[in-house]
Amino acid sequence: MRRINSIYGRIGLFKRISEKSTKQSHTFLASHSFSTHGGYGGDGELQQNNSKVKIFDRDLKRIHRDRAAWLSSRHKNNSFVDAVADNLLDRLEDCKKSFPTALCLGGSIGAVKRLIRGRGGIEKLIMMDTSYDMIKSCRDADEDSLGNSIETSYLVGDEEFLPIKESSVDLIISSLGLHWTNDLPGSMIQCKLALKPDGLFLAAILGGETLKELRIACTLAHMEREGGISPRLSPLAQVRDAGNLLTRAGFSLPGVDVDEYVVKYKSALDLIEHLRAMGETNGLLERNKILNRETALATAAIYDSMFATEDGTIPATFQVIYMTGWREHSSHQQAKRRGSATVSFRDLHKQFGGQSES
Amino acid sequence: MVRLSRFLLKDAGNVIDKTLSEILVCPLSKQPLRFCEKTKSLVSDTIGVSFPMKDGIPCLVPKDGKILEEESEASKA
Repeated sequence: MRRINSIYGRIGLFKRISEKSTKQSHTFLASHSFSTHGGYGGDGELQQNNSKVKIFDRDLKRIHRDRAAWLSSRHKNNSFVDAVADNLLDRLEDCKKSFPTALCLGGSIGAVKRLIRGRGGIEKLIMMDTSYDMIKSCRDADEDSLGNSIETSYLVGDEEFLPIKESSVDLIISSLGLHWTNDLPGSMIQCKLALKPDGLFLAAILGGETLKELRIACTLAHMEREGGISPRLSPLAQVRDAGNLLTRAGFSLPGVDVDEYVVKYKSALDLIEHLRAMGETNGLLERNKILNRETALATAAIYDSMFATEDGTIPATFQVIYMTGWREHSSHQQAKRRGSATVSFRDLHKQFGGQSES
Repeated sequence: MVRLSRFLLKDAGNVIDKTLSEILVCPLSKQPLRFCEKTKSLVSDTIGVSFPMKDGIPCLVPKDGKILEEESEASKA
């Protein structure tokens, strides 16, 4: 057998072995639909039509999250992240169902864990993040706090390659983590597969309006000082895309809503410190690795002059898009079959019409 | 009670949580994993990759996996 040196190339190896054995059933077919482009790259002889676009540098994001783990141990007060996690967990109160097994994907897992407070009837919680340091600090924080009635397990994993068996968890929560995945539809499809039927998927991602003041200030400063611009803010989802994402992943009863948070900082540098502590700094592959000191100071100055409020603080907008989706189940409402209508529009019009002749 | 048992397991450090062992599969092939006592790692037999376990926490990021091609004894252990 040919030795395949890349780990991702081994997927192709696995697929070829699977064709020979006939006993297995749908699990192999499922593996074809995990990512949106059907292959993981690697050897040339595999049929790759590698349309997977790499926007974010995932290894760099791991390092960012390691740093965030160290910084956030000093920065205990992070009200923005707590507000988002609280909002997400509140939605559990709206459901009559209880979710004994829950999976929490990276982003702000510490906040989610701290703020659960018994909502949703969660008994077993699995915390997953790409960074080992983040998981370690969560586990240490957990050991310090007493009276923890939820059984928690820790795991280091990648959201794009979810290591969770099909139909095994009741609830998946991802608070501000999925906007760093390269293949968001693929990740959502894997999340859907990991859910049991009638399982819930809750996610909060940052939307297109986030940090628009920073984007404007950066662009202006760069144009002035360097005569050109390089991408400093990641491409973020729009609200209309969120709905499409949910239906594409195959969730039933999808729901999307948007919230805007304006956070005030004493200076632009404070904003950057906060972003570092959350692990949200620039992770684009196309980024310019050098930042001129003058340009940075110019950015801060422009931000101040354009957006400062009367009391001298500067605001930063964070637009959060909350997405909800359920794995299909027979108890969900379905659209009726075509041709099964019992009342015609003409009858309805006769009954209620007359006022509006439009 | 929970804290006492965790303290005992800390020295073991190589036992997988029961919840996790039921739920985890290989991130690349989605097939079940096998815990190898000798190397304290989770092995995915179908594609021949082993994932390490640091301090009792399984690291199932594809980049962390090691390919075991030559050591067929290790995979049989």
